[in-house]
Amino acid sequence: MAATFIATHNLEILLDHLRQHGDLYGPVRGDDGAVRFAPLLPGTAPDLAALRTLLPAKKYLLHPCETILNFTADAGYQLPIEVVSPSILFGLHPCDLAGISYLDQLFLGDEPDPLYAARRSSLTLIGISCTPDDYCTCYRTPSPLAAQSDLFLQSVDGGFVVTSGSPRGDELVESVKNILVECDLSVPEDTRRFFCAPLSQRHLPETDETDPEWQELADGCLGCGACSVCCPTCACFDVLEFGGLDDVSALRVRRWDNCLFKSHSQVAGGVSFCKDRAERFRYRYRHKYRGFGALEGVPACVGCGRCRVVCPAGLDLRPLAERLDGGAP
Amino acid sequence: MNSHLPVSAVITSAEALTKNTTLFTLLTDRNSAVAAAFLPGQFLQLSLPGVGEIPISYCGYLSADGSIELCISHVGRVSTALKSAVPGASAGVRGPFGNGFPLSMYTGKDLLLIAGGLGMAPLRSLLLALRAERHRYGRVTLLYGAREAGALLFLDELREMKKCGAIELRLAVDRIESDSEPLPDCRIALLPALMDQLEVDPARTCAAICGPPVVYPYLVAGAHTLGVADERIHLSLERRMKCGIGRCGHCAVGGYLCCVDGPVFSYAELAGIEGALG
Repeated sequence: MAATFIATHNLEILLDHLRQHGDLYGPVRGDDGAVRFAPLLPGTAPDLAALRTLLPAKKYLLHPCETILNFTADAGYQLPIEVVSPSILFGLHPCDLAGISYLDQLFLGDEPDPLYAARRSSLTLIGISCTPDDYCTCYRTPSPLAAQSDLFLQSVDGGFVVTSGSPRGDELVESVKNILVECDLSVPEDTRRFFCAPLSQRHLPETDETDPEWQELADGCLGCGACSVCCPTCACFDVLEFGGLDDVSALRVRRWDNCLFKSHSQVAGGVSFCKDRAERFRYRYRHKYRGFGALEGVPACVGCGRCRVVCPAGLDLRPLAERLDGGAP
Repeated sequence: MNSHLPVSAVITSAEALTKNTTLFTLLTDRNSAVAAAFLPGQFLQLSLPGVGEIPISYCGYLSADGSIELCISHVGRVSTALKSAVPGASAGVRGPFGNGFPLSMYTGKDLLLIAGGLGMAPLRSLLLALRAERHRYGRVTLLYGAREAGALLFLDELREMKKCGAIELRLAVDRIESDSEPLPDCRIALLPALMDQLEVDPARTCAAICGPPVVYPYLVAGAHTLGVADERIHLSLERRMKCGIGRCGHCAVGGYLCCVDGPVFSYAELAGIEGALG
């Protein structure tokens, strides 16, 4: 088929070009061996062999901790004025892209979140194909979330097939034409095909809380919450306020929260609506596999495998979820 | 309305209702939705600068001047700091959020309001709305229980409504304090006991319930005994609603989000959902 090809040895030229369009980030292996999305400074090569970064790209859209309101006695509460510079995320796998698609649905709905919307509109997404490993589950349950990017690089012999997914992608292709080659290639299918699946309308029964497997999971869980921190679609946030030393100013921040923590469901007076760990597991299951609110019916798990990799107790919610939901939809 | 940005408000009065509960009146822009377009049962997010923000149910009803009544028990971090708030103090308000009680469903129906403790606050908003258009509704009965006589809120106002025939009123306290005045119209009993020997026409009765979660199963059972259908039993739920617009992820009840789909749910919606009633 007709394809637009970039040779691997021209990738650095592409990255240099991208750097002129904004701050460039991609998967970088650190001295500690961990792969993180980090600035791709000139001379820094992205680790394109790595399957998953420690944290997903959500950290660029929903910062782990950020100011959402400033208060002064004169002006009252004000939204922060944040100068957002154009950024490019390079090397996102289809599951990473689907995770961003989920966050888009959550934060860009009826009343777009100001900070998220500003960052998202200045963000260019460049995806890359991958080969799933044993931790990946994207191929097990097709996701209704879109693995949509501005550009996508699909690995083939000696380089990548480049496809654009947006007007911004078209512009980028146009601007690096000199290093692209139009040719006939046989292009294999990539893992994007596991996304954007039709949403199943099946009715799932309420979760059986008496299933002993909940307690087995809860008994093994250390409650560290790592599975949620590293999840591309976990976006629960807590809101805190800090008074200034001048006693007349304040700032309000939001920071990532975690449904595995008891405090997540606690209200004034100490009443908790998810008192034990098994209940918190079921809350997590409800969000990851069934969804709630406006996204009810949209399973949030994109199959990236991060939660299984990081769990210090080796727990995996997915087999139980698959059994409860009657296997793949 | 910008749901993310609190509108400035000033506390204009703070009336101690009990040892630990205060009725605040706040004044804000009378054209803002938070003051001018809410339903009983909805809530707002109240900010105390430098301290934080908490979801609070409306306790009053629509006013012409942009004033908002909030009944606050001083039990949490923000609400405890509010204890020392004096008239003139500045605050912020966002809202209204949630769905509120279904007033259109209540039109032409008999209303059975059941309040436990601080649950009286949102039900007072509902009572005031019903009273404002009293001719639209049938019998209005309020069953109201609190731990002790000193914890019964809005007693004078409720008795006045009873006196003028707007409502029927049954009161209960769990226990009697040795130093409290006798309350001739109040039983010493737990709240669900007020449903005993209550005569209602189940076909035309809607129940609106707000109280501590621990009594909900008993009150729902009582409503069932009276023959009220699940679709017409409404309960107001409390959850840790941080954002109010369905994003922060703290308030899911089954597939619902309490801040958007609630906080008022029919029992038909909640039946079978783990932990829904606390």
